[in-house]
Amino acid sequence: MASLIHCPHCGVRPKEEFSIRGDASLVRPDPEASDEAWHEYVHIRANPRGRYLEHWQHVAGCRRWLVVERDTFTHQVFSVTDGAAAARGTSR
Amino acid sequence: MTTTYISRHPLEDRLPLEPGIRAVDHLEVPRGKAIATVMAMDGEEAAVAAGLAASGDVSVRFVAPGEWLAISQSDTPEVLHRNLSLLLAEAAYIFDQSDGRVVFRLSGPNVRRILAKGVGIDLHASAFEIGTSSNVLCGHISVNLARSGENEFELIVMRSFAESLFDDLRAMGREFDLSADFAAEG
Ligand SMILES: [Zn+2]
Repeated sequence: MASLIHCPHCGVRPKEEFSIRGDASLVRPDPEASDEAWHEYVHIRANPRGRYLEHWQHVAGCRRWLVVERDTFTHQVFSVTDGAAAARGTSR
Repeated sequence: MTTTYISRHPLEDRLPLEPGIRAVDHLEVPRGKAIATVMAMDGEEAAVAAGLAASGDVSVRFVAPGEWLAISQSDTPEVLHRNLSLLLAEAAYIFDQSDGRVVFRLSGPNVRRILAKGVGIDLHASAFEIGTSSNVLCGHISVNLARSGENEFELIVMRSFAESLFDDLRAMGREFDLSADFAAEG
């Protein structure tokens, strides 16, 4: 059974319609930050078991970037927010 | 030998040019429809949605927040583009897509069962009402799907995917003897 994601613009959709980009909680370092900080940001990723914030793009639907909060173990989805709204700090 | 690709429908080699015998479930391909993409400028989304809703002859398909496809039943691409530009000046960007998209109209009593083979969303009338439209995945191709009647749906696909989608739809409809031809009205 496909995992279902509730796109705030398109409704309930199978995961096959999305492309997953990964961790949405990373904050881009300052341009002058150390090589260490940039290395961490670009290459180092945790692989958590449990709650995780991810960027998903609804490529086969509205093509919007979404922030999906889900459990990587149970695949329970807690929230889906439009990426632009999430960036503005306003959640729908 | 030179081939003129302009104004050539991508399914011309696949379908007879004259309407054929229709089965109860039928796939019809209208030719020469005027289609335009409408993209609202920042902050103008509501104004553009209201303008499109009042545009009469034009059917409006939802693509994404602030983005729609506008399809005219009777106008030429030039007239559609001009009318939309006058209506939505300073509020939206309008691009002609008439040669870039292909329209499929699927109708018949088994149409939902045919679509269920490729589309992962609930198409019951209580979940996907007449007049609703949305981009969805059909098989491996992204299409704009709209319900135009109780047992009638329209799919709009990018031109280069039209032949592939056509093959998929015929395979999906084979169980019900789905017939296919170009629409009589052109
Ligand atoms: Zn979506």
